[in-house]
Amino acid sequence: MLWINDVLVSQGDGGVYNERMLGGARVWDPYRSKLAALYYVGKGIEISADQIVLYLGAANGTTVSHVADYAECVYAVEFAPRPMQDLLEVARRRTNIVPIMADAKNPEQYAPLVEQVDLLYQDVAQPDQAAIAIRNCVFLRTGGYLILMLKTRSVDMRKDPAEVFARTIEDLQIAGLQVVESIWLMPYHSDHAAIVCTKPANGGLA
Amino acid sequence: MSSYWFGDVEAGGCTPAAGDPALLEARLRSIRTSPGPFVPFTWQLAVRCGAVRDRTEYIARLRELCVADAERRIREIYSQKDAELLPMVRMLDELDTVINLLSERAAEWHQVRHPSFSRKYRRIPAHNLVRTMREKSPGALGLVAGRIEDLAAARTELAKEVSARAYGVMPNTSALIGGLVAARLLSQAGGLAGLARLPASTIQVLGAKTALFAHLRTRSPSPKHGIIFQHRRVHNAPKRVRGRVARVLAGKLAIAAKIDFYRGESDRVFLEAAQKHIDTAGGEAADALDQ
Repeated sequence: MLWINDVLVSQGDGGVYNERMLGGARVWDPYRSKLAALYYVGKGIEISADQIVLYLGAANGTTVSHVADYAECVYAVEFAPRPMQDLLEVARRRTNIVPIMADAKNPEQYAPLVEQVDLLYQDVAQPDQAAIAIRNCVFLRTGGYLILMLKTRSVDMRKDPAEVFARTIEDLQIAGLQVVESIWLMPYHSDHAAIVCTKPANGGLA
Repeated sequence: MSSYWFGDVEAGGCTPAAGDPALLEARLRSIRTSPGPFVPFTWQLAVRCGAVRDRTEYIARLRELCVADAERRIREIYSQKDAELLPMVRMLDELDTVINLLSERAAEWHQVRHPSFSRKYRRIPAHNLVRTMREKSPGALGLVAGRIEDLAAARTELAKEVSARAYGVMPNTSALIGGLVAARLLSQAGGLAGLARLPASTIQVLGAKTALFAHLRTRSPSPKHGIIFQHRRVHNAPKRVRGRVARVLAGKLAIAAKIDFYRGESDRVFLEAAQKHIDTAGGEAADALDQ
Protein backbone atom coordinates (compact mmCIF):
# COMPACT_ATOMS: atom_id res chain seq x y z
CA MET A 1 0.00 0.00 0.00
CA LEU A 2 1.07 3.55 -0.58
CA TRP A 3 2.20 5.62 2.43
CA ILE A 4 3.39 9.21 2.47
CA ASN A 5 5.03 10.08 5.80
CA ASP A 6 3.02 7.42 7.64
CA VAL A 7 -0.23 8.57 6.06
CA LEU A 8 -2.10 5.99 3.99
CA VAL A 9 -3.06 7.32 0.58
CA SER A 10 -4.36 6.07 -2.75
CA GLN A 11 -3.51 7.31 -6.21
CA GLY A 12 -6.57 8.59 -8.07
CA ASP A 13 -8.84 11.50 -8.93
CA GLY A 14 -9.85 13.28 -5.72
CA GLY A 15 -12.99 15.09 -4.63
CA VAL A 16 -15.09 11.96 -4.10
CA TYR A 17 -16.09 12.91 -0.54
CA ASN A 18 -13.98 16.01 0.15
CA GLU A 19 -11.06 13.83 1.16
CA ARG A 20 -7.75 15.53 1.94
CA MET A 21 -5.03 15.42 -0.72
CA LEU A 22 -1.38 14.82 0.05
CA GLY A 23 1.28 15.16 -2.63
CA GLY A 24 -1.35 14.62 -5.32
CA ALA A 25 -2.69 11.47 -3.69
CA ARG A 26 -5.94 10.91 -1.80
CA VAL A 27 -5.67 10.52 1.97
CA TRP A 28 -7.42 7.34 3.14
CA ASP A 29 -8.74 8.11 6.61
CA PRO A 30 -8.68 5.17 9.08
CA TYR A 31 -11.46 6.77 11.13
CA ARG A 32 -13.80 6.78 8.15
CA SER A 33 -12.84 3.52 6.53
CA LYS A 34 -12.43 0.19 8.29
CA LEU A 35 -10.15 -1.13 5.58
CA ALA A 36 -7.82 1.86 6.04
CA ALA A 37 -7.91 1.20 9.81
CA LEU A 38 -6.81 -2.39 9.17
CA TYR A 39 -3.72 -1.16 7.32
CA TYR A 40 -2.94 1.11 10.28
CA VAL A 41 -3.40 -1.42 13.09
CA GLY A 42 -2.39 -4.60 11.31
CA LYS A 43 -0.95 -6.00 8.13
CA GLY A 44 -3.95 -6.46 5.87
CA ILE A 45 -3.57 -7.61 2.29
CA GLU A 46 -1.68 -5.69 -0.38
CA ILE A 47 -4.02 -4.75 -3.20
CA SER A 48 -2.26 -4.58 -6.55
CA ALA A 49 -3.15 -3.30 -10.01
CA ASP A 50 -3.74 -6.78 -11.40
CA GLN A 51 -6.28 -7.83 -8.78
CA ILE A 52 -10.01 -8.23 -9.11
CA VAL A 53 -11.99 -7.46 -5.96
CA LEU A 54 -15.50 -8.40 -4.89
CA TYR A 55 -16.70 -5.82 -2.39
CA LEU A 56 -19.81 -6.68 -0.34
CA GLY A 57 -21.59 -3.85 1.46
CA ALA A 58 -20.27 -1.09 -0.77
CA ALA A 59 -22.50 1.58 0.86
CA ASN A 60 -21.77 5.10 -0.41
CA GLY A 61 -18.69 4.02 -2.31
CA THR A 62 -16.24 5.90 -0.10
CA THR A 63 -13.95 2.96 0.67
CA VAL A 64 -14.78 1.44 -2.72
CA SER A 65 -13.25 4.47 -4.42
CA HIS A 66 -9.94 3.89 -2.62
CA VAL A 67 -9.95 0.17 -3.34
CA ALA A 68 -10.61 1.00 -7.02
CA ASP A 69 -7.50 3.23 -6.97
CA TYR A 70 -5.40 0.17 -6.14
CA ALA A 71 -7.18 -2.71 -7.87
CA GLU A 72 -7.72 -3.60 -11.51
CA CYS A 73 -11.47 -3.91 -11.06
CA VAL A 74 -13.98 -3.80 -8.18
CA TYR A 75 -17.37 -5.50 -8.16
CA ALA A 76 -19.29 -3.40 -5.64
CA VAL A 77 -22.42 -5.01 -4.20
CA GLU A 78 -24.94 -2.88 -2.32
CA PHE A 79 -28.58 -3.51 -1.50
CA ALA A 80 -30.13 -0.26 -0.22
CA PRO A 81 -31.31 2.28 -2.81
CA ARG A 82 -30.10 5.47 -1.13
CA PRO A 83 -26.40 4.55 -0.78
CA MET A 84 -26.67 2.95 -4.23
CA GLN A 85 -27.41 6.38 -5.71
CA ASP A 86 -24.08 7.62 -4.38
CA LEU A 87 -22.27 4.47 -5.42
CA LEU A 88 -23.54 4.90 -8.99
CA GLU A 89 -22.19 8.44 -9.04
CA VAL A 90 -18.77 7.19 -7.88
CA ALA A 91 -18.87 4.39 -10.46
CA ARG A 92 -19.66 6.88 -13.24
CA ARG A 93 -16.29 8.57 -12.66
CA ARG A 94 -14.28 5.42 -11.92
CA THR A 95 -14.52 3.08 -14.83
CA ASN A 96 -13.12 0.07 -12.99
CA ILE A 97 -16.07 -0.15 -10.59
CA VAL A 98 -18.95 -2.44 -11.51
CA PRO A 99 -21.88 -1.46 -9.25
CA ILE A 100 -24.27 -4.31 -8.51
CA MET A 101 -27.56 -3.77 -6.73
CA ALA A 102 -28.17 -7.02 -4.91
CA ASP A 103 -28.30 -8.59 -1.47
CA ALA A 104 -24.96 -10.09 -0.39
CA LYS A 105 -26.97 -12.75 1.41
CA ASN A 106 -28.02 -14.16 -1.96
CA PRO A 107 -24.92 -14.57 -4.14
CA GLU A 108 -27.03 -16.39 -6.74
CA GLN A 109 -28.57 -12.98 -7.53
CA TYR A 110 -25.27 -11.75 -8.92
CA ALA A 111 -23.55 -15.01 -9.80
CA PRO A 112 -24.09 -14.48 -13.56
CA LEU A 113 -22.30 -11.12 -13.25
CA VAL A 114 -19.24 -11.72 -11.12
CA GLU A 115 -16.12 -13.44 -12.44
CA GLN A 116 -13.56 -15.19 -10.26
CA VAL A 117 -11.88 -12.71 -7.90
CA ASP A 118 -8.56 -12.44 -6.08
CA LEU A 119 -9.90 -10.64 -3.03
CA LEU A 120 -13.24 -10.78 -1.27
CA TYR A 121 -13.93 -7.85 1.02
CA GLN A 122 -17.02 -7.80 3.22
CA ASP A 123 -18.43 -5.02 5.39
CA VAL A 124 -22.11 -5.68 6.00
CA ALA A 125 -24.32 -4.97 9.02
CA GLN A 126 -25.99 -8.36 9.26
CA PRO A 127 -26.30 -10.95 12.03
CA ASP A 128 -24.93 -13.84 9.94
CA GLN A 129 -21.74 -12.23 8.66
CA ALA A 130 -19.66 -15.40 8.69
CA ALA A 131 -22.28 -17.33 6.73
CA ILE A 132 -22.51 -14.55 4.12
CA ALA A 133 -18.74 -14.52 3.68
CA ILE A 134 -18.57 -18.31 3.36
CA ARG A 135 -21.37 -18.34 0.80
CA ASN A 136 -19.55 -15.70 -1.26
CA CYS A 137 -16.29 -17.63 -1.24
CA VAL A 138 -17.45 -19.42 -4.40
CA PHE A 139 -16.24 -16.34 -6.29
CA LEU A 140 -12.81 -16.45 -4.65
CA ARG A 141 -9.97 -18.21 -6.49
CA THR A 142 -7.91 -20.71 -4.49
CA GLY A 143 -5.09 -18.85 -2.81
CA GLY A 144 -7.22 -15.69 -2.83
CA TYR A 145 -7.98 -13.69 0.31
CA LEU A 146 -11.06 -12.82 2.29
CA ILE A 147 -11.10 -9.69 4.44
CA LEU A 148 -14.10 -9.77 6.75
CA MET A 149 -14.92 -6.62 8.68
CA LEU A 150 -16.87 -7.95 11.63
CA LYS A 151 -19.44 -5.64 13.19
CA THR A 152 -19.90 -7.53 16.43
CA ARG A 153 -22.87 -5.36 17.43
CA SER A 154 -24.77 -6.44 14.34
CA VAL A 155 -24.27 -10.10 15.14
CA ASP A 156 -25.79 -9.92 18.59
CA MET A 157 -26.37 -6.80 20.66
CA ARG A 158 -26.41 -8.74 23.90
CA LYS A 159 -23.33 -10.90 23.41
CA ASP A 160 -19.83 -9.94 24.40
CA PRO A 161 -17.96 -8.65 21.32
CA ALA A 162 -14.93 -10.81 22.14
CA GLU A 163 -17.14 -13.90 22.19
CA VAL A 164 -18.68 -12.99 18.81
CA PHE A 165 -15.18 -12.45 17.40
CA ALA A 166 -13.92 -15.87 18.56
CA ARG A 167 -17.08 -17.58 17.35
CA THR A 168 -16.81 -16.02 13.88
CA ILE A 169 -13.17 -17.09 13.49
CA GLU A 170 -14.21 -20.61 14.46
CA ASP A 171 -17.03 -20.62 11.91
CA LEU A 172 -14.67 -19.52 9.13
CA GLN A 173 -12.16 -22.23 10.05
CA ILE A 174 -14.82 -24.92 10.14
CA ALA A 175 -15.83 -23.82 6.63
CA GLY A 176 -12.28 -24.58 5.48
CA LEU A 177 -10.75 -21.12 5.41
CA GLN A 178 -7.33 -20.46 6.86
CA VAL A 179 -7.21 -17.44 9.15
CA VAL A 180 -4.01 -15.45 8.64
CA GLU A 181 -4.81 -12.35 10.68
CA SER A 182 -7.48 -11.33 13.16
CA ILE A 183 -7.35 -8.01 14.91
CA TRP A 184 -9.55 -5.41 16.62
CA LEU A 185 -9.77 -2.06 14.85
CA MET A 186 -9.30 -0.03 18.02
CA PRO A 187 -8.82 2.91 18.39
CA TYR A 188 -10.33 3.75 15.01
CA HIS A 189 -13.55 1.72 15.26
CA SER A 190 -14.91 0.23 18.48
CA ASP A 191 -16.52 -3.22 18.54
CA HIS A 192 -15.23 -3.84 15.03
CA ALA A 193 -12.70 -6.49 14.11
CA ALA A 194 -10.97 -7.54 10.91
CA ILE A 195 -10.44 -11.16 9.99
CA VAL A 196 -8.18 -12.01 7.06
CA CYS A 197 -8.42 -15.50 5.62
CA THR A 198 -7.04 -17.36 2.67
CA LYS A 199 -8.77 -20.02 0.63
CA PRO A 200 -6.45 -23.04 0.67
CA ALA A 201 -5.91 -25.13 -2.45
CA ASN A 202 -7.25 -28.27 -0.82
CA GLY A 203 -10.04 -26.24 0.72
CA GLY A 204 -12.92 -28.09 2.29
CA LEU A 205 -15.27 -25.29 1.25
CA ALA A 206 -18.65 -26.63 0.40
CA MET B 1 -26.07 -25.25 -18.81
CA SER B 2 -24.66 -22.22 -17.00
CA SER B 3 -26.11 -18.82 -17.78
CA TYR B 4 -23.92 -15.74 -17.49
CA TRP B 5 -24.69 -12.16 -18.37
CA PHE B 6 -22.93 -12.49 -21.73
CA GLY B 7 -24.34 -15.85 -22.78
CA ASP B 8 -25.20 -19.47 -22.06
CA VAL B 9 -22.37 -21.94 -21.69
CA GLU B 10 -22.87 -25.65 -22.33
CA ALA B 11 -20.54 -28.57 -22.48
CA GLY B 12 -20.40 -28.37 -26.24
CA GLY B 13 -20.03 -24.60 -26.64
CA CYS B 14 -21.45 -21.21 -25.90
CA THR B 15 -24.29 -19.08 -27.17
CA PRO B 16 -23.59 -15.35 -26.80
CA ALA B 17 -26.53 -13.23 -25.71
CA ALA B 18 -27.88 -10.49 -27.97
CA GLY B 19 -25.82 -7.31 -27.75
CA ASP B 20 -28.72 -4.90 -27.35
CA PRO B 21 -28.54 -3.29 -23.84
CA ALA B 22 -32.30 -3.50 -23.25
CA LEU B 23 -32.36 -7.16 -24.20
CA LEU B 24 -29.33 -7.90 -22.02
CA GLU B 25 -31.11 -6.27 -19.09
CA ALA B 26 -34.28 -8.29 -19.56
CA ARG B 27 -32.16 -11.43 -19.87
CA LEU B 28 -30.28 -10.60 -16.70
CA ARG B 29 -33.54 -10.29 -14.79
CA SER B 30 -34.66 -13.74 -15.87
CA ILE B 31 -31.35 -15.57 -15.21
CA ARG B 32 -31.01 -13.92 -11.83
CA THR B 33 -34.22 -15.52 -10.66
CA SER B 34 -33.55 -19.00 -12.05
CA PRO B 35 -31.19 -20.68 -9.64
CA GLY B 36 -28.83 -23.25 -11.09
CA PRO B 37 -25.52 -24.69 -10.01
CA PHE B 38 -22.96 -21.92 -10.13
CA VAL B 39 -19.70 -22.52 -11.89
CA PRO B 40 -17.05 -19.83 -11.34
CA PHE B 41 -15.87 -18.24 -14.55
CA THR B 42 -13.25 -15.85 -15.83
CA TRP B 43 -13.73 -13.07 -18.33
CA GLN B 44 -11.84 -15.00 -21.02
CA LEU B 45 -14.89 -17.22 -21.28
CA ALA B 46 -16.83 -14.27 -22.69
CA VAL B 47 -14.13 -13.75 -25.32
CA ARG B 48 -14.15 -17.42 -26.29
CA CYS B 49 -17.91 -17.16 -26.42
CA GLY B 50 -17.60 -14.37 -28.95
CA ALA B 51 -19.54 -11.89 -26.79
CA VAL B 52 -16.66 -9.41 -26.37
CA ARG B 53 -13.26 -8.81 -27.94
CA ASP B 54 -11.09 -8.01 -24.90
CA ARG B 55 -10.95 -7.12 -21.21
CA THR B 56 -11.73 -3.44 -21.81
CA GLU B 57 -14.87 -4.22 -23.73
CA TYR B 58 -15.87 -6.87 -21.19
CA ILE B 59 -15.79 -4.42 -18.27
CA ALA B 60 -17.34 -1.59 -20.25
CA ARG B 61 -20.31 -3.69 -21.40
CA LEU B 62 -20.81 -5.26 -17.96
CA ARG B 63 -20.71 -1.86 -16.27
CA GLU B 64 -23.26 -0.46 -18.66
CA LEU B 65 -25.54 -3.40 -17.93
CA CYS B 66 -25.16 -3.21 -14.13
CA VAL B 67 -25.65 0.57 -13.97
CA ALA B 68 -28.82 0.35 -16.06
CA ASP B 69 -30.12 -2.48 -13.88
CA ALA B 70 -29.37 -0.60 -10.64
CA GLU B 71 -30.99 2.59 -11.94
CA ARG B 72 -34.12 0.71 -12.92
CA ARG B 73 -34.35 -0.95 -9.50
CA ILE B 74 -33.87 2.35 -7.67
CA ARG B 75 -36.62 3.92 -9.77
CA GLU B 76 -38.89 0.98 -8.99
CA ILE B 77 -38.30 1.19 -5.24
CA TYR B 78 -38.76 4.96 -5.14
CA SER B 79 -42.01 4.76 -7.07
CA GLN B 80 -43.61 2.57 -4.42
CA LYS B 81 -46.38 4.35 -2.61
CA ASP B 82 -44.69 4.41 0.79
CA ALA B 83 -41.26 5.54 -0.43
CA GLU B 84 -41.75 9.25 0.20
CA LEU B 85 -43.74 8.76 3.39
CA LEU B 86 -40.67 7.49 5.25
CA PRO B 87 -38.49 10.61 4.92
CA MET B 88 -41.59 12.74 5.53
CA VAL B 89 -42.32 11.13 8.91
CA ARG B 90 -38.69 11.29 9.92
CA MET B 91 -38.55 14.97 9.01
CA LEU B 92 -41.72 15.59 11.01
CA ASP B 93 -40.33 13.96 14.15
CA GLU B 94 -37.05 15.79 13.73
CA LEU B 95 -38.89 19.12 13.34
CA ASP B 96 -40.72 18.51 16.61
CA THR B 97 -37.45 17.94 18.41
CA VAL B 98 -35.78 20.97 16.85
CA ILE B 99 -38.70 23.31 17.47
CA ASN B 100 -38.90 22.28 21.14
CA LEU B 101 -35.17 22.67 21.58
CA LEU B 102 -35.06 26.09 19.94
CA SER B 103 -38.10 27.33 21.87
CA GLU B 104 -36.52 26.18 25.10
CA ARG B 105 -33.26 27.98 24.33
CA ALA B 106 -35.06 31.15 23.25
CA ALA B 107 -37.13 31.12 26.43
CA GLU B 108 -33.99 30.90 28.54
CA TRP B 109 -32.56 33.87 26.69
CA HIS B 110 -35.81 35.78 27.10
CA GLN B 111 -35.78 35.14 30.87
CA VAL B 112 -32.33 36.68 31.18
CA ARG B 113 -33.57 39.80 29.45
CA HIS B 114 -36.63 39.94 31.72
CA PRO B 115 -35.45 39.09 35.25
CA SER B 116 -38.96 39.07 36.70
CA PHE B 117 -40.40 36.81 33.98
CA SER B 118 -41.52 33.32 34.89
CA ARG B 119 -43.85 30.84 33.23
CA LYS B 120 -44.82 29.30 36.56
CA TYR B 121 -48.50 29.61 37.53
CA ARG B 122 -49.29 31.23 34.18
CA ARG B 123 -50.23 28.86 31.45
CA ILE B 124 -48.35 30.38 28.55
CA PRO B 125 -48.32 28.04 25.57
CA ALA B 126 -44.88 27.88 23.98
CA HIS B 127 -46.07 29.29 20.67
CA ASN B 128 -47.52 32.39 22.39
CA LEU B 129 -44.22 32.98 24.12
CA VAL B 130 -42.38 32.62 20.81
CA ARG B 131 -44.75 35.13 19.19
CA THR B 132 -44.17 37.62 22.01
CA MET B 133 -40.44 37.21 21.63
CA ARG B 134 -40.64 37.80 17.89
CA GLU B 135 -42.72 40.95 18.34
CA LYS B 136 -40.99 42.45 21.36
CA SER B 137 -37.37 41.32 21.22
CA PRO B 138 -34.92 43.45 19.29
CA GLY B 139 -32.04 41.87 17.42
CA ALA B 140 -31.20 38.25 16.88
CA LEU B 141 -33.62 36.84 19.48
CA GLY B 142 -36.55 38.31 17.59
CA LEU B 143 -35.20 36.91 14.33
CA VAL B 144 -34.70 33.46 15.85
CA ALA B 145 -38.23 33.53 17.29
CA GLY B 146 -39.52 34.38 13.83
CA ARG B 147 -37.70 31.40 12.33
CA ILE B 148 -39.13 29.11 15.04
CA GLU B 149 -42.60 30.26 14.00
CA ASP B 150 -41.76 29.53 10.36
CA LEU B 151 -40.60 26.05 11.32
CA ALA B 152 -43.78 25.50 13.32
CA ALA B 153 -45.86 26.52 10.30
CA ALA B 154 -43.90 24.13 8.09
CA ARG B 155 -44.41 21.43 10.68
CA THR B 156 -48.18 21.91 10.68
CA GLU B 157 -48.27 21.71 6.90
CA LEU B 158 -46.07 18.62 6.88
CA ALA B 159 -48.21 16.89 9.49
CA LYS B 160 -51.26 17.42 7.26
CA GLU B 161 -49.44 16.01 4.25
CA VAL B 162 -48.14 13.01 6.20
CA SER B 163 -51.60 12.21 7.50
CA ALA B 164 -53.23 12.55 4.07
CA ARG B 165 -50.60 10.39 2.44
CA ALA B 166 -50.85 7.77 5.19
CA TYR B 167 -54.58 7.42 4.52
CA GLY B 168 -53.72 6.84 0.87
CA VAL B 169 -50.93 4.34 1.44
CA MET B 170 -52.49 2.45 4.34
CA PRO B 171 -56.22 3.16 4.55
CA ASN B 172 -57.06 0.42 7.07
CA THR B 173 -54.25 1.07 9.53
CA SER B 174 -54.92 4.82 9.34
CA ALA B 175 -58.65 4.34 9.93
CA LEU B 176 -57.91 2.45 13.16
CA ILE B 177 -55.25 4.67 14.63
CA GLY B 178 -55.12 7.89 12.61
CA GLY B 179 -52.84 8.88 9.76
CA LEU B 180 -50.03 10.37 11.83
CA VAL B 181 -49.60 7.45 14.20
CA ALA B 182 -49.98 5.00 11.32
CA ALA B 183 -47.19 6.81 9.47
CA ARG B 184 -44.97 6.62 12.55
CA LEU B 185 -45.53 2.87 12.78
CA LEU B 186 -44.59 2.61 9.12
CA SER B 187 -41.43 4.59 9.70
CA GLN B 188 -40.42 2.41 12.66
CA ALA B 189 -41.00 -0.75 10.63
CA GLY B 190 -39.00 0.68 7.72
CA GLY B 191 -41.81 0.45 5.19
CA LEU B 192 -45.22 -1.04 4.54
CA ALA B 193 -43.77 -4.40 3.52
CA GLY B 194 -41.92 -4.55 6.82
CA LEU B 195 -44.95 -3.48 8.87
CA ALA B 196 -47.19 -6.05 7.18
CA ARG B 197 -44.82 -8.82 8.26
CA LEU B 198 -44.61 -7.80 11.91
CA PRO B 199 -46.49 -9.79 14.53
CA ALA B 200 -49.03 -7.91 16.65
CA SER B 201 -46.84 -8.24 19.73
CA THR B 202 -44.06 -6.33 18.00
CA ILE B 203 -46.40 -3.63 16.69
CA GLN B 204 -47.65 -3.18 20.27
CA VAL B 205 -44.20 -2.16 21.52
CA LEU B 206 -42.84 -0.56 18.36
CA GLY B 207 -41.07 2.61 19.43
CA ALA B 208 -40.49 1.44 23.01
CA LYS B 209 -37.05 0.05 22.27
CA THR B 210 -35.37 1.28 25.45
CA ALA B 211 -38.03 -0.20 27.69
CA LEU B 212 -38.12 -3.44 25.73
CA PHE B 213 -34.39 -4.02 25.92
CA ALA B 214 -34.37 -3.03 29.60
CA HIS B 215 -37.03 -5.70 30.07
CA LEU B 216 -35.04 -8.33 28.18
CA ARG B 217 -31.84 -7.55 30.04
CA THR B 218 -33.08 -6.94 33.55
CA ARG B 219 -36.19 -7.82 35.49
CA SER B 220 -38.06 -4.62 34.72
CA PRO B 221 -41.66 -5.08 33.52
CA SER B 222 -42.31 -5.41 29.78
CA PRO B 223 -43.55 -2.28 28.02
CA LYS B 224 -47.31 -2.20 27.43
CA HIS B 225 -47.20 0.11 24.43
CA GLY B 226 -44.89 2.07 22.16
CA ILE B 227 -45.99 4.46 19.47
CA ILE B 228 -49.60 3.29 19.68
CA PHE B 229 -49.79 5.01 23.07
CA GLN B 230 -50.15 8.23 21.07
CA HIS B 231 -53.59 7.09 19.99
CA ARG B 232 -56.38 8.43 22.16
CA ARG B 233 -57.97 5.02 22.74
CA VAL B 234 -54.78 3.89 24.44
CA HIS B 235 -53.77 6.97 26.39
CA ASN B 236 -57.34 7.80 27.36
CA ALA B 237 -58.02 4.31 28.65
CA PRO B 238 -57.93 3.85 32.43
CA LYS B 239 -54.48 2.81 33.47
CA ARG B 240 -55.44 -0.70 34.57
CA VAL B 241 -56.86 -1.67 31.18
CA ARG B 242 -54.41 0.28 29.05
CA GLY B 243 -52.25 -2.77 28.40
CA ARG B 244 -55.30 -4.74 27.33
CA VAL B 245 -56.49 -2.02 24.95
CA ALA B 246 -52.99 -1.71 23.49
CA ARG B 247 -52.85 -5.44 22.89
CA VAL B 248 -56.25 -5.64 21.19
CA LEU B 249 -55.49 -2.56 19.10
CA ALA B 250 -52.09 -3.96 18.06
CA GLY B 251 -53.77 -7.22 17.05
CA LYS B 252 -56.18 -5.40 14.76
CA LEU B 253 -53.38 -3.16 13.42
CA ALA B 254 -51.37 -6.22 12.43
CA ILE B 255 -54.33 -7.42 10.36
CA ALA B 256 -54.97 -3.93 8.96
CA ALA B 257 -51.34 -3.57 7.84
CA LYS B 258 -51.54 -6.91 6.05
CA ILE B 259 -54.73 -5.85 4.22
CA ASP B 260 -53.06 -2.53 3.34
CA PHE B 261 -49.98 -4.20 1.93
CA TYR B 262 -51.49 -7.15 0.13
CA ARG B 263 -54.81 -5.65 -0.98
CA GLY B 264 -54.22 -1.92 -0.70
CA GLU B 265 -57.80 -0.83 -0.24
CA SER B 266 -60.09 0.00 2.64
CA ASP B 267 -62.06 -2.96 3.99
CA ARG B 268 -65.27 -1.63 5.53
CA VAL B 269 -66.47 -4.90 7.06
CA PHE B 270 -63.13 -5.52 8.75
CA LEU B 271 -62.90 -1.93 9.99
CA GLU B 272 -66.37 -1.91 11.56
CA ALA B 273 -65.75 -5.16 13.41
CA ALA B 274 -62.28 -4.09 14.48
CA GLN B 275 -63.41 -0.69 15.75
CA LYS B 276 -66.15 -2.32 17.81
CA HIS B 277 -63.78 -4.89 19.20
CA ILE B 278 -61.24 -2.27 20.26
CA ASP B 279 -63.89 -0.03 21.81
CA THR B 280 -65.38 -2.85 23.87
CA ALA B 281 -61.94 -4.08 24.93
CA GLY B 282 -61.48 -0.98 27.05
CA GLY B 283 -65.08 -0.76 28.28
CA GLU B 284 -65.75 -4.40 29.17
CA ALA B 285 -62.41 -4.88 30.79
CA ALA B 286 -62.99 -1.83 32.94
CA ASP B 287 -66.45 -3.12 33.92
CA ALA B 288 -65.06 -6.53 34.79
CA LEU B 289 -62.44 -5.01 37.00
CA ASP B 290 -64.96 -2.79 38.73
CA GLN B 291 -67.09 -5.73 39.89
